[in-house]
Amino acid sequence: MDKETKLKLITACAECMIRHAEELTALDQAIGDGDHGLNMKRGFEALLADATVLSDKPLPDMLKAIGTQLVMKVGGASGPLYGTLFMALAKEIDDTPSLLSASAAFASAIEAVKARGKSELGQKTMLDVLIPVHRVWVTGGGTGLALAAQAAAEATVPMKAIRGRASFLGDRSIGHMDPGARSSQLLIETITTVLGA
Amino acid sequence: MANVGIVIVSHSAKVAEGAADMVRQMVGDEVPLAWAGGNSDGGLGTDVGHILAAIDAAWSEAGVAILVDLGGAETNSEMAIEMLDEARQKRIAICNAPIVEGAVIAATEASGGSPLDIVKQTAEELYPQ
Amino acid sequence: MTAHKASASHEETTRGSALLTNAVGLHARPSVKLTQLAKTYQAIVSVATEPTGPWIDAKSPVKIMRVKAPKGTTLYFEASGEDAVSAVAALVDLVERRFDEAEEEGHG
Repeated sequence: MDKETKLKLITACAECMIRHAEELTALDQAIGDGDHGLNMKRGFEALLADATVLSDKPLPDMLKAIGTQLVMKVGGASGPLYGTLFMALAKEIDDTPSLLSASAAFASAIEAVKARGKSELGQKTMLDVLIPVHRVWVTGGGTGLALAAQAAAEATVPMKAIRGRASFLGDRSIGHMDPGARSSQLLIETITTVLGA
Repeated sequence: MANVGIVIVSHSAKVAEGAADMVRQMVGDEVPLAWAGGNSDGGLGTDVGHILAAIDAAWSEAGVAILVDLGGAETNSEMAIEMLDEARQKRIAICNAPIVEGAVIAATEASGGSPLDIVKQTAEELYPQ
Repeated sequence: MTAHKASASHEETTRGSALLTNAVGLHARPSVKLTQLAKTYQAIVSVATEPTGPWIDAKSPVKIMRVKAPKGTTLYFEASGEDAVSAVAALVDLVERRFDEAEEEGHG
């Protein structure tokens, strides 16, 4: 992957997270501790500041560095979860991924997030976007991912949280979109737009 | 051989520091000891960066036993461990024990020079699952 | 005192006892001190609150804390191994020194 595309990916993702910080915070205030927007913004601001250096690295190294930054800078519960996603992607991907090899790397990254959060599909988390998107990727050959992400994020609204702080609310978590699902959707949308998928 | 170090990870800085105080008072200072508590904004939470710093501070050639409170403390401790090099990873154990009592018991066991697996086992013996 | 080297078939056992006179008895901190001291010896050391047992591993902080012996209890020690004699002497001394605890503090 060329440097220009990598730079574009980092910049676009960071700008998107910064732009949606307030919306994510509002979602998190409804069912969590209200820090998701601010945490994500802080993490992606750090990536934006490092974007040139990061995009100079081969793809696996870049993803690993992004993961480390997100762990350290985002904090909360989502820092380690997003950090794990990127660090696990870094382990499996090469510098010139095909649609197929990237899909396999994505699958193992999803497994790593599951293990980190000790959660599964249907528990109102970011996995409820990542897993359906991966399914569409496998069956549809990499098209329609943004739409799938959007539908999946919306599908977390009626779900009841079982993991994380939202789970303390029990039934009261029903009726709100999961902030982690929303941020995952935004990232997938941005990435697919940049890559023209 | 050095004694196993103890790291206390709580969502609350006060809980972590208080538990560390109890270890120091009851067990003494033959055991490397450090704590991490609260998020980077000073609120309740745990922070991987803080945990990594605590592991560094309590590092011992004999390894480090970590005591945690609620879910996120364990998740972030696991994350911190994975970010270390492999040689160190093998010498860190998260104890499945109550944070305060576990820290005191683990430190007591560690102060006698016991290896990491025994320190972990003793802390976990307190309230068998 | 003469040190008796234990043979495989006949293990020498050293015994001793001391009265718990500190206000809170064998509470958390004295338990820690007792196990820490016991751990400094090679000998197998056991504690009991009756001369006939049941015997508890003096090097196990978890087991010692569960004894919860109050003030006025007699602690019995039994040790075997090369430094058994000094182990028992040191433990008896610790109890008699009231675990070096200041009496006005410590309820836990």
